[in-house]
Amino acid sequence: MMDADDMIRRLSGPVSLRRRMAYVVALVMGLGGALTTGLLWATEERPPPVLGGFAVLCLAWACYGGWALTRRTPLFALDRVIGGWIAVAATWPLTLLTVALAVDRPGWAGWAGAAVNVVLALVAAVVLVRARSARAALLRRKRELGG
Amino acid sequence: MTDELLVVRCQLGEREALAELVRAWHDPVWTYVRRMLDHGDADDVAQEVWLAVVRGLPRLREPGRFAPWLFTIARRAVTNRLREEYGRQETTTASGQVTEHADEQVVEDRAEVMADRAALVAGLSGLPLVEREILVLFYLEDLSIEDCAQICAIPVGTVKSRLSRARRLLREQLGERGTR
Repeated sequence: MMDADDMIRRLSGPVSLRRRMAYVVALVMGLGGALTTGLLWATEERPPPVLGGFAVLCLAWACYGGWALTRRTPLFALDRVIGGWIAVAATWPLTLLTVALAVDRPGWAGWAGAAVNVVLALVAAVVLVRARSARAALLRRKRELGG
Repeated sequence: MTDELLVVRCQLGEREALAELVRAWHDPVWTYVRRMLDHGDADDVAQEVWLAVVRGLPRLREPGRFAPWLFTIARRAVTNRLREEYGRQETTTASGQVTEHADEQVVEDRAEVMADRAALVAGLSGLPLVEREILVLFYLEDLSIEDCAQICAIPVGTVKSRLSRARRLLREQLGERGTR
């Protein structure tokens, strides 16, 4: 019979903070990288094929991160707050970059890419605000319960 | 420390709280799984249960209702494992290899019915799954009738009638073996 400590050891993978944050980074950076390189690829007159390949690679990382976070690894309150900050830190500079690109190279693709990034930046901000308020509610409940 | 506080601490992301929660509930989960499966794979199923618990903990809306939620997950894992096993047994039976059912285990225990917990545990293996499950949840895990109803997704009245039938079957079974 496996005892509780054996079980805790077996669960150490799914509850590893480092692993969860790596998935968040894969999702956010993959999504951002795919959008930026996709935008560059769409706005270049003669885009190098490697750019398209890089966009696909980034998208694959984003899909992997999204799959792992929804199917394999839980995100606890603290993780969500950290993940929210990572998303904000990644999407806001990227949004500024894509808006600058759209201004520099006017066209439907540039503005569409910038619009998508603005939406992503807003989503990241909302995710962060909600994560912080959910964590605050849990901390309040913990105090009420005497913890 | 209450289960609710432990669960809230887990939801916040405190690893020590998760370890405490596992230490507090590992034995009841393992006992339930072991009584329901009667096989050597209780460890694997218990691990499946805990993985599902860890993944589901952030979404648990009522931390105070942890025990019924935990056993609902355990019940699902046990049901899935039994379904797999029955599927395998049907396949092997169809190909002419008759396998011996694990539930047909002989009970040697001669202890008192119901009053003796050990007798109950031994007698359980001879009962049908539905009745065995309700006895394990109600007597071995000390869950309320309402919690049993929630875990098994059946009305409270059905839990009571199953309990009554389970007691009768257990009494008959132990009686047949000359314990009374």
